[in-house]
Amino acid sequence: MKITDPKARGMLAAEYVLGTLWGGARARFELWLRSDPGLRREVAHWQQRLEPLSATLEEVTPDPSVWAAIQRDIAPPARAPAPAPERGGWWQNLAFWRGFSLATASLAAVLFGYVALTPADHSGFPGEAMVVVMADPQTSAPAMTVAWMPGDPGRPKLRVKVIGHQTMEPDTAWELWMVPAPGQSPRSLGLITTHETQTVDVPAELRAALDAAAGLAMSVEPKGGSPTGQPTGPVLYSGQCVKI
Amino acid sequence: MDGIDDLMARCTLRDQRAFAELYQRTSGRLLAVALRIVRRRDWAEDILQESFVSIWHHAPEFDRVRSAPMTWMTTIVRNRALDWVRRPRHETAEEDLDGLAETWVDEGPGPLDRLTSEAGGRALAHCLGELPGQQRQSIALAYLHGLSHSELADHLDQPLGTIKTWIRRGLEKLRGCVDAIETGGRAT
Repeated sequence: MKITDPKARGMLAAEYVLGTLWGGARARFELWLRSDPGLRREVAHWQQRLEPLSATLEEVTPDPSVWAAIQRDIAPPARAPAPAPERGGWWQNLAFWRGFSLATASLAAVLFGYVALTPADHSGFPGEAMVVVMADPQTSAPAMTVAWMPGDPGRPKLRVKVIGHQTMEPDTAWELWMVPAPGQSPRSLGLITTHETQTVDVPAELRAALDAAAGLAMSVEPKGGSPTGQPTGPVLYSGQCVKI
Repeated sequence: MDGIDDLMARCTLRDQRAFAELYQRTSGRLLAVALRIVRRRDWAEDILQESFVSIWHHAPEFDRVRSAPMTWMTTIVRNRALDWVRRPRHETAEEDLDGLAETWVDEGPGPLDRLTSEAGGRALAHCLGELPGQQRQSIALAYLHGLSHSELADHLDQPLGTIKTWIRRGLEKLRGCVDAIETGGRAT
């Protein structure tokens, strides 16, 4: 059944909004509403006309628990857990360190090739240099290199190269970590981009630890970086520090 | 409510801070709306919670051309509250409505005064003021307290048919009056 008489339609819409249309009549009206844009406009007009009545009520402040419950309900579903975060994380995982050393060993040749074949880079290092070749654990292929001059006073400048044209997932960040020694918690060196060459300024107080670090790792974090100060996302690349 | 438009626009872009501010600005009024209808604080707060979760999820579909944000949010809260009191075997909360009936039937200062602070409210206040007291009272009690025709008949001690007539005539006059003001306001 359809209601066609404009006056009847207007009155049904009014009583629907007012709240006096009850039971089966209300349910039928809601069915008509779905397929009748004109009726929906009529209802919207009545909502607009009557809504100011709500302003006559004294406001009632809700209990703080209501907002807490709303926040809980609208929170995005928890992300897939990072590998064993509750027990410290990947840096305490023996398998990670084993893979870490293996990858590094297999990259020794690459490392020397890289240094020898890039005289421009080498010219920036009058003395010793620290070099880390970070490999993709899936393929063992080098994916990133990081180099800096150890022992210099002031803020260490990391020269970062991202190999190949890599892309970052939207709303994520790449965070570079220094791993002081096997089993110790990583310390953030800052966020990096996918640019092929870039420089990362490290706080001066990390200098000593950086020069003595066992390795570096890069993890995928939420936009803006790790919310906890420790890696929370998967490690894309990692490598051991080598002095040359 | 100035600024609510902007907050709602930001909510459609999933801005949680804007949503928190929207809640802060409007939850007092919306809880009052739910509380008047269901008449129990814990039920009203449950409805408020569900409504705001729904407001967050449906914000991207909100169409500001078709309705003002406050109207849209009030509709969500009222519909949930009305569904609540109409569900079968509904446990009712007792509240004394006697005093409230009088405030709407009298002329002069009363709840209508509080309407004049908002643009849409001024037209409604003026037009409600033009209605005979019993029509004004029936409409206000139905809208704010979610009373049905028969509840109004019991409460106002009138035959059901009389209540239906009051409401219908009152709504017809209200529509003509409010639309005339709004059309006139737009023309000037």
